[in-house]
Amino acid sequence: MIWEVFRQAKPGKYHTHCGNVHAPDREMAKLFAQIQHGRRMQTNSLWVVPQEEVSEVDSDEATFGGSTDKAYRWAMTYNRVDASFAAEVEQSEDEQREAAKAREEL
Amino acid sequence: MDLEELKERAGPRAFSPKDDLPEEYRKAATRMIQFHANSEVMGGYLDKQFTRQAPSLDRKLACTAKVQDEIGHAQLLYRAAETLGVKTREEMLEELERGEGKFLNCFHYPVDSWYEAPMIDFFVDGGAMRRQATLKATSWEPYAHAMDKVCFEEGFHVKHGEDILRELMGSSRANRERVQETFDEWWPRIVQFFGPPNKDSKHNDFAQQVGLKTTSNDELRQAFLNAYIPKAEKYGLELPDTPRIEYDEHSGRYELEYDDLDWEEFWTIAKNDYERSAEQIGSRRRRHEAVAWVRESMDAWETSQETPQAAD
Repeated sequence: MIWEVFRQAKPGKYHTHCGNVHAPDREMAKLFAQIQHGRRMQTNSLWVVPQEEVSEVDSDEATFGGSTDKAYRWAMTYNRVDASFAAEVEQSEDEQREAAKAREEL
Repeated sequence: MDLEELKERAGPRAFSPKDDLPEEYRKAATRMIQFHANSEVMGGYLDKQFTRQAPSLDRKLACTAKVQDEIGHAQLLYRAAETLGVKTREEMLEELERGEGKFLNCFHYPVDSWYEAPMIDFFVDGGAMRRQATLKATSWEPYAHAMDKVCFEEGFHVKHGEDILRELMGSSRANRERVQETFDEWWPRIVQFFGPPNKDSKHNDFAQQVGLKTTSNDELRQAFLNAYIPKAEKYGLELPDTPRIEYDEHSGRYELEYDDLDWEEFWTIAKNDYERSAEQIGSRRRRHEAVAWVRESMDAWETSQETPQAAD
């Protein structure tokens, strides 16, 4: 039986898929996941899920969004003006930059 | 909790829906947040005009995204107001439609040219953001929480607004003159954006005592003038002769002649009695009605689905 494994690096972060393990039951799957996926990378928590329990919808069946360039939505894009004249504008831009970085790290 | 105890405990994010709060507080907070939410709706409706007039596709996209943000902010704020238990979201939206809901002075003036985009998107939004940043420390926790998200997004609006100003003021002389004319018209309204002087403000003292407001009208206006006058001048805009505003080098403050401003018009607007207020409220109501079919078909679609669908 195949179990898909999801790893969370730090508390509060998302669990992201990192591979799978073969195991006869849930307890063994958790143990194997620890050994194979939790030893070398920083890990706070692991999920194991029976492969047949994972449902999929792919780009053959559905039209997904998210491919549009939305750079116009972010303060960092407007780099010919300087936000430092107002602390609240600068702080907003810093928060947006942090959020963009966090999205890339996923 | 009674009012005396509340005033003692007032502080940033001090009160939440689990507290038993006196009616005076809940009513004052409702009035303030409803005003703010209405202003997001009316500002968004005003702003959508710029999508049509924007000179490039990039600008159109940014203008559309901004309107979407503003309407989202209204939703967050009606939610924060609703949790006070005084009015429901539906009641507040109906009041706005009937012309009873109050909102910011600058959104009572219809706009019809791209030259007005930097007035709204840079100066008015910049003023709003300055005020909103102080409201992260308001005593009603759901309101402060909404401000976290609002302020996160507003940086894009203000920088985009400044970028439009930069572009226009770096282009032809005809464009620069049109921006200056538009600025002359808008500047007094923008200075009035922060409301009457403290001595004439009806609600300021109570709102500060219970921690709903942390900064007075005059302090906010001063901070705004200090940051935004140098910006206007940087791009070559000249302040109109009235209202008189003198920079006092000794105190580092801009001294404003309040009496140079048209407070009669301001108070007429505050009561929604200004002739163009009815125009703004009415056109927003008609547009709201015109797209009723979208809301109805979305409701019908949602109730016909067996499993809940996530919004995009």
